[in-house]
Amino acid sequence: MEIGFTPEQEELRAVLRAFLDEHADRRSLIATEDRHAPELWRRMATEIGVQGLAVPEEYGGAGFGAAEMCVAFEELGRSLAGGPMLATAGLVVPALLACEGEDARAEFLPGIADGSTVATLAFVEAEGTWETGAVHTRAKRTGDGHIIDGTKYFVLDGAIADLVLVTARTDDGTALFAVSGDAAGLSRRAHEAVDLTRGMARLDFASVPARLLSSDPSVVETALDRARIALAAEQAGGAQWCLDTAVAYAKTRHQFGRPIGSFQAVKHRCADMMVAVEAARSATYLAALTAHGAPQDLAVAATSAQVCCSRAYTEVAAGAIQVHGGIGFTWEHDAHLFYKRAKTDELLFGTADWHRERLARLTGMGTAETTEGAVNV
Amino acid sequence: MSDDTEFRESLRAFLKEHAPGRAPKGAAERLAFAKAWAATKYDHGFAGPAWPRDAGGMGLPFEQQVIYHEEMARYRLPAMPGTGWEMVGPTIIKYGTPEQKEKYLRATLRADIVWAQGFSEPEAGSDLPGLRTTARREGDHYVVNGQKVWNTNAEKADMLFVLVRTGTQEARQKGISYLLIDAHAPGVTVRPIRDITGGEHFCEIFFDEVRVPVSQRVGEENEGWRIARTTLGHERSAGALNQAAFYRRIVDELIALARERGAVADTGIRRRLADFDVRVRVMNAHAARTIASIVATGEPGPTSSVSRLYNSVFEQELHEFAVELLGPFGLLGRDDPDTVQRGRWTGGWLATRASTIGAGTAEIQRNTIAEQVLGLPRDPAMPPRS
Repeated sequence: MEIGFTPEQEELRAVLRAFLDEHADRRSLIATEDRHAPELWRRMATEIGVQGLAVPEEYGGAGFGAAEMCVAFEELGRSLAGGPMLATAGLVVPALLACEGEDARAEFLPGIADGSTVATLAFVEAEGTWETGAVHTRAKRTGDGHIIDGTKYFVLDGAIADLVLVTARTDDGTALFAVSGDAAGLSRRAHEAVDLTRGMARLDFASVPARLLSSDPSVVETALDRARIALAAEQAGGAQWCLDTAVAYAKTRHQFGRPIGSFQAVKHRCADMMVAVEAARSATYLAALTAHGAPQDLAVAATSAQVCCSRAYTEVAAGAIQVHGGIGFTWEHDAHLFYKRAKTDELLFGTADWHRERLARLTGMGTAETTEGAVNV
Repeated sequence: MSDDTEFRESLRAFLKEHAPGRAPKGAAERLAFAKAWAATKYDHGFAGPAWPRDAGGMGLPFEQQVIYHEEMARYRLPAMPGTGWEMVGPTIIKYGTPEQKEKYLRATLRADIVWAQGFSEPEAGSDLPGLRTTARREGDHYVVNGQKVWNTNAEKADMLFVLVRTGTQEARQKGISYLLIDAHAPGVTVRPIRDITGGEHFCEIFFDEVRVPVSQRVGEENEGWRIARTTLGHERSAGALNQAAFYRRIVDELIALARERGAVADTGIRRRLADFDVRVRVMNAHAARTIASIVATGEPGPTSSVSRLYNSVFEQELHEFAVELLGPFGLLGRDDPDTVQRGRWTGGWLATRASTIGAGTAEIQRNTIAEQVLGLPRDPAMPPRS
């Protein structure tokens, strides 16, 4: 497999972009209570099959790989209208696929693929660390199942998810459980998030009945790394929108009797933005290629992509505001939606510095005590 | 066995048998060493991967050019001596007379002729179309007067390819011709310039009533500008992965140095090293995308436009950081007996200032990206490009 996309994958991009241009409206999405537009969600499942792109065909999906996911999330990042797609297709699908055994896949994947299930993964707690081992939520065995007690924060689309995967500590270590969104004892409070396009919630679990999915801590780690690549693709797509929009504006906005884009100061900023956008795309495509062809290097690839894309997106989103001048500072213009998305994406699955540390650890660079003890799970 | 596999095998066999060992010390010895390797490649039919066969080259399809560069990069081989052979060669191939092709192409590939470029002038750097070196027509000769500068390794050159003014100054790029000039012709003076590193890598060249036969002009009179940047397909991109591999090696060596010196215990240093590590991965992906795009569509795509700027900024920042990493040892110059790794990092720190100046400054590159890729409007204060 080579870096880049086949004609079929580019066709998917074109179809999805046309669909999103016509049907996805980021302004109406942010007007919803939960950053979720059910009708759009349903159509994405039935007309394009976005939710099921990576779901195996036997469970109602398309059985595609990382390249198609990359294309889809780039377009969703460009539209900002993915709603719960990152949580559902980016996090939960790879988590279910990483679980041993068929039962959970057979039970949950068809509903995800046909658009009837919104799903999420709850793994961050009050400490705010992305280390998947830092779990205080407890799971106790009861008869034929478990009950869960604890609190998860920053749960993507946690307020509306029909299916919540949750990490919890058992006597044998951290494990992954499935909880129904309407389970007794689960209370959910939507966060007021900076990023107006992403739903996020705090979930309190008080003796919530749960089903054990996997005791293998690498399941969540794998799912997170795949989600980091999906996030990188969103970041690259969002950055591309920022560049395109800034360039288009610089061509038409006149000051001093000429287009502002004819001034070198503006040109150079746009050129630097393009350098950043292409870096983000390269890092993302390389990560997708690795996820597909060399899964043993998934963690390095995902973490490298996050280092690159986090910085690139924020830089380009800030550049877009700057090129727009005053209009870029208004609520009315969409630039701030991208800027907020860009900055908060840096914090979503590990900051750039956190990923730099992780890369140093994964590549065997660090030898100091400071890198010990940070090893996951 | 596919053609590609067969080709790779034949290259490997050639390299295994003929690749030279370590380069000798001394400038003259190194030049002779590099010329000998060029001759060996040529004599065995392994020179000029992108050049047509009737020019003495291999005439390889793009995919095999990539293989060629990959295999060559597995050895530490001397570079082709001089600079600009990969610029003047394609220009002669496309626009040269039969006599010029006969006289220069094979000899260039074999490094029997070493070239240097004569484009920039003291008053014509980024604004190259404003160049002032004149070529006055006298019968079947041009008489050349003027000065060129920043001519890399010109003191080693046998021949110069030079842009000269044959039209009026006002005609700018429409009054420029392309001449091939004997570096040892009467009236040619080549003088090395000591640069920021203390070494001499550049020269200035003075032309004082230098007589050049009209038959040494490539292309039509006043058409020199148009043909000066001739390339053969996407030959430059074929080696893009190797440049990424080259930087990979440098970063790995810097990481090894940081480990040796215990510097990786410092969080800040570790993070910055990790950041450079990521940037090398991006470079590699840029190169792979460029190559994949050429293979798929025949066009190099957006990555080829941004790669040079990305890489040059990277190598500057990498070396600035490397000097800091040395701590107080970064205070030492190249020749101090206590200097680290023979001063390569401080040397590189100084040398890479040129990365954002030579062959088009970073500012000019940003203009080019903005105007030619992003389509931003031209600055009305600037003269037209063509």
